[in-house]
Order: sequence, then structure tokens, then C-alpha cells
Amino acid sequence: MQFVWWKMRLGFASAWQGLREWCGDAAYERYRECAKRAGQRRVLSAQEFYVEQLNKKYSRPNRCC
Amino acid sequence: MVAATALATIAVHRGEPISATWFVLAAACSYLVAYRLYSAFISAKLLALDNTRATPAERRDDGRDFVPTNKWVLFGHHFAAIAGPGPLVGPTLAAQFGYLPGTIWLIAGAAFAGCVQDFVILFCSIRRDGKTLGEMAREEVSKRGGVIAQLAVLAIMIILLGVVALVIVNALKSSPWATFTLACTIPIALLLGVYLRFVRPGRVLEASLMGVALVVFAVVAGQWVANSATWSRAFTLSGIALTFAIIAYGFAASALPVWLLLAPRDYLSAFIKAGAIFTLAAGILLVRPHVLMPPLTRFVDGNGPVFAGKIFPFCFITIACGAISGFHSLISSGTTPKMIQRESHARFIGYGAMLLESFVGVMAMVAACAMTPGVYFAINSPAQIVGGIPEVAAKTISSWGYPVSASMMAGLAHSVGEQTLWNRAGGAPSLAVGMAQIFSTTIGGERLLSIWYHFAIMFEALFILTVLDAGTRVGRFMVQELCGRFWKPIGRLNWYPAILLSSAMIVGAWGYFLYQGVVDPLGGINSLWPLFGIANQLLAAVALVVATTILLKMGRMRWIWVTLVPMAWLVVITMTASYEKIFSANPRIGFLSFANVLAAQIGTGTIPAAKILETRRIIFNQRLDAVVTAVLAAMILVLLLEAIAQWHAILSRGKKPVLHESPYVATQWAEGD
Repeated sequence: MQFVWWKMRLGFASAWQGLREWCGDAAYERYRECAKRAGQRRVLSAQEFYVEQLNKKYSRPNRCC
Repeated sequence: MVAATALATIAVHRGEPISATWFVLAAACSYLVAYRLYSAFISAKLLALDNTRATPAERRDDGRDFVPTNKWVLFGHHFAAIAGPGPLVGPTLAAQFGYLPGTIWLIAGAAFAGCVQDFVILFCSIRRDGKTLGEMAREEVSKRGGVIAQLAVLAIMIILLGVVALVIVNALKSSPWATFTLACTIPIALLLGVYLRFVRPGRVLEASLMGVALVVFAVVAGQWVANSATWSRAFTLSGIALTFAIIAYGFAASALPVWLLLAPRDYLSAFIKAGAIFTLAAGILLVRPHVLMPPLTRFVDGNGPVFAGKIFPFCFITIACGAISGFHSLISSGTTPKMIQRESHARFIGYGAMLLESFVGVMAMVAACAMTPGVYFAINSPAQIVGGIPEVAAKTISSWGYPVSASMMAGLAHSVGEQTLWNRAGGAPSLAVGMAQIFSTTIGGERLLSIWYHFAIMFEALFILTVLDAGTRVGRFMVQELCGRFWKPIGRLNWYPAILLSSAMIVGAWGYFLYQGVVDPLGGINSLWPLFGIANQLLAAVALVVATTILLKMGRMRWIWVTLVPMAWLVVITMTASYEKIFSANPRIGFLSFANVLAAQIGTGTIPAAKILETRRIIFNQRLDAVVTAVLAAMILVLLLEAIAQWHAILSRGKKPVLHESPYVATQWAEGD
């Protein structure tokens, strides 16, 4: 029973993480990890990162007919 | 076996209505077979996907542009990007031929052409560090090929935006409930924009859920507006008024900061899109409605009221998205290749996401064909074809063998909360009626029919506005890049006068097509949707020419038919449709013959003096459409000739093929990563 419960929790956790990644909630965390790994001195704030991402995303075709 | 049985059933069934279950089975099982066998064959033999090769996302991982992403998440991203209003509207319009031609084209076109295009272009872009279609065309075909691809993208963007805006205008015209609901999405989006920018930066999930709740409230509140005499008058807009409102909105979305209006609307749209598509699929599976439209209607002869033209080539350009859409090649060579973890994921994401989009198209076909055929034609036929008075229109449609009465239409309009459903060409209202009937059978019954109808209209309009504002902004960047070559200051992305000027140019271009559609005596869709179909299929042909050239350079001659056959098919349908749209003697098909008929009417004095100026404008528009079609056709011919010269040089060994792939780098990840 405990194993089933543990498996269910794992499933929910990964579905939740997937949803956060799909909608962009997790993007800043990912970027910070990446910047830390690369040893970048200047790391963008959450606001700066959000606006930069949007400007990039909407400067090329990203929604189809 | 199941796929074959279901396909045979829908193909040979005659007389009685057929259950939608057969459509779901035929589509789902055919897709499974295509995915399991054909995409596996393409992966192994044609592309030879290599999981030992590091993808751009692994090599250049920067957390910004290049981000290795779980394949299910990326599938969701890619699907959300490729699924627009096209697979909903196209099949609904093509239902005038009956359910059979459109359904077969949706299933076969997706399996053998659309999915192949998306998959192969995605693969080519992965192997080139995520380069765009235009860049690949320039490097692998010729410099001129790259310019043609860029021009084709701009042309399709302008025509597409004009056409989808026309669909919204026809859906909102004289509908205070729908207009109010859609108008409410603008302040809701602004609110979310401020929240996401200043209050909780980047918290898209919570903001979108709040936004969705507000939008649902707006749908319900629209009923109160429609029932109030004062408010109802304020939100009852004519086609022309809506045209200028949408043009002003497009300009604002392009010129304002992206975080304020455009991005939050896109988030709202993505969530509502996912929810509505899932609900429609679940509704069809639960209700299993009967398809009342015959497999083939009398309009296979080319005299359909929704749009004129025979099945070949017009069914194949009317249903573009859902079977094959050139626009997808821009997504497959955009963000997706920069986020893919392994080459083998390209099969699931490129081929699989397109199969799902095709399934959405089949569901739209079912929803449109599940309504009484007479009602379908009453909603989608322009007044100039069937008559502007309900009794006359009902008599005309009934005389075609599809019974409908004025009282039946009045009752239906009343039950969905509309003033009228006559002559609402464009596909959106008829699809909304079909969806509402399916939804209300599942939840709420007759009582909720009007809410479901307006939810469906809001979903379609929101969907389309998202394409409109995102497309206008991208178009603005293209105009700035193009004009910046001749006058540097206009190319500066942070100079506000340049932003305003280029926004006005792109909005003016698609706004002109929209306006001409709204004032078109044949309803606009008859002229503009085929033009959009031709432009979209032209871009698909460009993508397949690039793919074929790359595969030839890779030495995959033996399997080249995989991209060559769909490319040849697209060239044939695009050229035939272009020829007919320009030169057909039938004035409902040929732009020039319609212009000539109108000119002759002015000459003989048939047109009243007060209408002469307006008629001259329509004549000019028809001739302009003919020129645009000719230019589109000429572009694909030039590119094709360039590519054929390349192929000849490669095959005759006169030229050593130069492939512009990124060098091989072995992956650092273990197999299970």
C-alpha cells in the first residue's frame, strides 16, 4: 500500500513538474541553475528574464494557423 | 484491421446517418499504424536518427534559447504552437463536399505529407543548430531560394491574418454576447500582464488559472449584456465596425510591450485551447453523435455555396492545417529544435504532434457534419447566394435537397442566444453550433446550449486573436528587417517611430484583405480562404523542396520519394488552384472573370449609380487577388527550378554536394538521461 502511495506521489510530482515546465513557470529556475553551472557573474532577475524571454519568443513565428 | 474496417465503413456507407465512433476509430487506428510503421521507417531508413549525436540543446545549453526539455513537455509545447484555428475552420468549410473527401484527406494527408514535412524539417533544423527554414533554404538550395522562402513567409502571414480576422468578424457580427465576451478578454489580459510583470514575475500557471476563471465569468456575463437593451445595442457591431476594431487591436498588440497584452492573451488562449480540444474529444466519445451530412453532397460539382470549386484541387487547399500546413515548418525550424534532448525524440514530437493536430481536424469535421445539413448550409451560405430573406433562403437550401425552414433557424438562434444564424460564413459559428450541441448533450442539456455556444465562439475567437496579434508582431519584425535594408533607421527595433510605422504597414496590409473580405458581395471567405490555402500549401512545398534537396545531398536517393511525392502533389494542387482562381470562366471561382462580369454590368448600366464606386473597388480587389495568386505561384516555380538545377548537378555528379550540417559531437549523456 505504501509502495502504491509512493508511486502515486511520484507520478503527481512529475506531472506537476511537467505542467510547470510546459507553461513556463519553471523556466527561471532552469535558467538560474544553468547560469550557476556556467559560473556566470551577472544573472538576470526574474523580471528581466521574463521580459527577455517574451521578447525573444514573440519576435519569430511561434503560433501557427 | 480496425483502421481498414472503419475506413471502409465510412467510405461505402450510404443512406442512413453514421455514428461518429467510426470516424474516431478510423482516424485513431490509422494514426497508430502510420506512427508505428511509416514514421519508424522514416526514422531508420531516410533520416537514420542518431542518439549518440549531441543535439544543439545539449551542446549549447544556456537556459535561455537552448534548453534540453523532456520529450512529453516539448510535445505539449510543439502541439500548442502548431495547433491554431486552421484545423477547426478548414474541415468545417470543406464539409460542404460531404464528410468523405475531407476526412480521407485529413487522415492520408497527415500521415503521408503533413507529418513527414514537420518531422523531416525538424530533423534538418536539429542537424543545423536550430536554423530557420529561410536560412536552410539559402544555404542548401540557393540564395534566391532563401529570399523566396522569406517572402513566402511574409505573404502567407499577411493573407493568413486577413483571413482569420474575417472569420472573427463573421462570428461576432450582430452578436452582442460574443462581442462583449471577447472584448472582456482585453482588460483581463492587461491585468494578467501587469500581474506577471510586476507582482509575481513569470508565474504563468497561477495567473492563467485566474484569467481562465475571469473569462468563464465573462462568457456568463455576456448573457446579461445580450438581455439588456442598452448594453446589447452598444455591443451590436456591424462588419465594418468590427473590422476597424480588430485592426486597432492588431496595431496595439504589435506596438505595445509584449508582456502587457500579447503574452498574457497567449497564455489564456493556450489553457482554453487545451481544455476545449480535450472537452470536444471527450464529448464526441461520450455522445457518439450521428453524422447527418452525406458522404458526398451535390456540391462536388464545384457550385458549393460556402466556396466555389471542385474537390480537386479545392478540398486540398481548403483543408491545409490538419492535413499539411507550410506554417508548421516555421515552428519545426524555430524553438523546438533548440529544445530537443535526443534525435530520436524528433519522431514523437515532429510526426506525433501533427497526427494529434489531424485528429483535431477530424473532430471538427464530425462536429460540423453532426448538425442537420440544411442548418449547416443556412449558417455558412452568403446572402448573395441563397437570398437575404429567411423564407427565401430556406426555400433555396431546401430545393438543394437539404431541408431547413425559417422557423427552425429562428428557434436554433434563440436557443443559442443569437439574433440570427443566417449567412454567418466563415466556419466559426457553424462549428460553435456543432460543438455546443455535443457539449450540451453531455452537460446541461438545452438549458446550457447558449452558454456552450458562446463558450465555443469565445474559444475560437480567442484562439484566432492570439494568431492575429502574435502574427502581426512577427510580421512587424519582418517588415523592419526588410525595410531596414533600404533605410537603416526603420530596422532599429528599439526606435519607437520605426515600431509604429512598421506596425502600421503590416496592419494596413492584412487590414486591407480583411476589409475587402467584409465588403465582398460573395462573403469574402469564397475569395480569401482559397488564397490563404494556396499561400500555406506554397510554403509547405517550399519546405519539402528544401527537405528533398538536403536528403539528396545526404545520399538518400533510394528513399527520396518520401518527401518528393508529397512535394509534387502540393505543386500540382497549388498550381491548379492558382490557375483556376485566376483564369476560371466561372465568376464565382475566377478572380478575373468576376471582375469582368462586374465591369460589364457597369458598362450596361445594370449597377445603380450609387453603387458604381463600390463596384469599382470590388473589381480592383478581384484583380489584386489575381496578381497576388500569380506572384505566389511564380515564387514556387522559381524555387522549384533552382532546386531542380541543384538536384541535376548532384545526380550527374557535376557538383560535389556541400551539406551545411553542424559537425558530429558525441553525446555526454547516458542512454537513460
